[in-house]
Amino acid sequence: MTPTAGLGFKPCHFDEALAEPAAGLWFEVHPENYMVDGGPRLAMLRALREARPLSFHGVGLSLAGAAEPDRVHLARLKKLVDEYKPMFVSEHLAWSREGTTCFPDLLPFPRTLEALLRVARNIDIVQHALGRQIMIENPSLYVALDGHDFSETDFLRQLAKKTGCRLLVDVNNVVVSANNLGFDPYLYLDALPVDAIGEIHLAGHRPDPEHGDALLIDSHDSPVSEQVWALYDDLLDRTGPVPTLIERDGNLPSFAELMVERERAAALMRTPRQQVRYA
Amino acid sequence: MPDLATFQLAFATAMCGTRTRGTLEGQPGFAVYRNTTPVALAETLRANYPVVGELLGDALFVETAFAFARHHPASDPVLLGYGPAFPAFLAAQPWIADLPYLPDVAAIERLRTEAHMAADASALGLADLAGLGTEHWPALRLRPHPATRIAWLQTPALTIWRAHHETPGFETLSPEWRAEGVLVTRPSGILEVHALDAPMHRMIFGLRLGETAGEAAAATASTYPEADIASAFAALVNAGALARPASLERN
Repeated sequence: MTPTAGLGFKPCHFDEALAEPAAGLWFEVHPENYMVDGGPRLAMLRALREARPLSFHGVGLSLAGAAEPDRVHLARLKKLVDEYKPMFVSEHLAWSREGTTCFPDLLPFPRTLEALLRVARNIDIVQHALGRQIMIENPSLYVALDGHDFSETDFLRQLAKKTGCRLLVDVNNVVVSANNLGFDPYLYLDALPVDAIGEIHLAGHRPDPEHGDALLIDSHDSPVSEQVWALYDDLLDRTGPVPTLIERDGNLPSFAELMVERERAAALMRTPRQQVRYA
Repeated sequence: MPDLATFQLAFATAMCGTRTRGTLEGQPGFAVYRNTTPVALAETLRANYPVVGELLGDALFVETAFAFARHHPASDPVLLGYGPAFPAFLAAQPWIADLPYLPDVAAIERLRTEAHMAADASALGLADLAGLGTEHWPALRLRPHPATRIAWLQTPALTIWRAHHETPGFETLSPEWRAEGVLVTRPSGILEVHALDAPMHRMIFGLRLGETAGEAAAATASTYPEADIASAFAALVNAGALARPASLERN
């Protein structure tokens, strides 16, 4: 099976997910939700894996932290990866651990040379431990930080070059960050190294209740916006078909509604492109 | 530019603080980072303690959960088991005298969370024992199934928990005020919650400590002379509370 467009897996859609016949469908999960000794969660993951390819999208390695990835967490991830053999393993360009405290969030940092070396080292550690390539996702940003030595796209390009990792481009995150920090999302996508892009995420966002459209929140609680679809279409002109995921976490609609969005992505992937340009 | 470790510490400190001025804290978007962690931890607590959430009501639950999250930040990126100290935290709240059963209700929900995540194993069934002569039973060393959890609670928390779990929104209940034992099992992948009487509690407690079936039965009979030992044992087995020993594994 050639994976085309996938869905973020929600346990409440388990039966429909297993029964769905769509060609090329795959599912993405947060491995952290399955780091248990046993029980119904792992039983569900096992059944899902037997039916479809999986992608593991981690949120807990804190790769953009000064410290090395937590060994216990990495060992748990390796155990799951070895057993379930996902087609992709990805993580975020963010940190979520400071000392002994873990923040269930994806936090920003100044993209300095020191940070580049540390993140590259952390990716090396993870890839070495897992014995495979991982993908790194661009974050949603809400504040402007001082002291960047690199643009985000240059930073990602350097990481891919130094570690051999690939990139997971979250188009919604680009829209959210571009809006919040004031840059052009098309120029951002144009600056990405196309040949390193291994997966694309599409999701919805919402305006902040207090600040409105001046501050967009990467909420994953609404359908993919038309702006994101337009950018995605544009990105596909350059990348050609890349496995694409619809992410939805809040205000969860029916499985069928998610499949409609998923089919829209699959249709765009099938659309013949005039010219596939490579950067 | 400070190094990455220094930046992280300053950012984390600012997130946990309340300052609203400064190059970082003054930006409207900083509130997003400030909110995300307590909201995520409170949502996790609500998922892990749903009946506590219902008993407290939305406003008080969220306030209490935020206070808990401030005192007990997550120390693991895996949040599934977050909040083992929540029952004790509830017991220390100034208003707890109005809801004296609440920490015990929370304790039941904690047992369920632990049982949900525990390792897989085959549960011992009466059929397994039937294949073995009764003369061999006393020498058996039976262990609780990895997902089995027990507690002896000083309030009728199980009756209260069960009423709310089975009928959300349930309001009128006047339970007899007495201690209750609770047994959580997961024999076939689905959580079960059973009442545990004092003899059953003594028996499985002994088995968990490593007593043989015969030792546990004798000790239970000595403490509770009126108890029907065979029924107590059968009830534990029927609830799926015990693991099938390797020596009894079916081919």
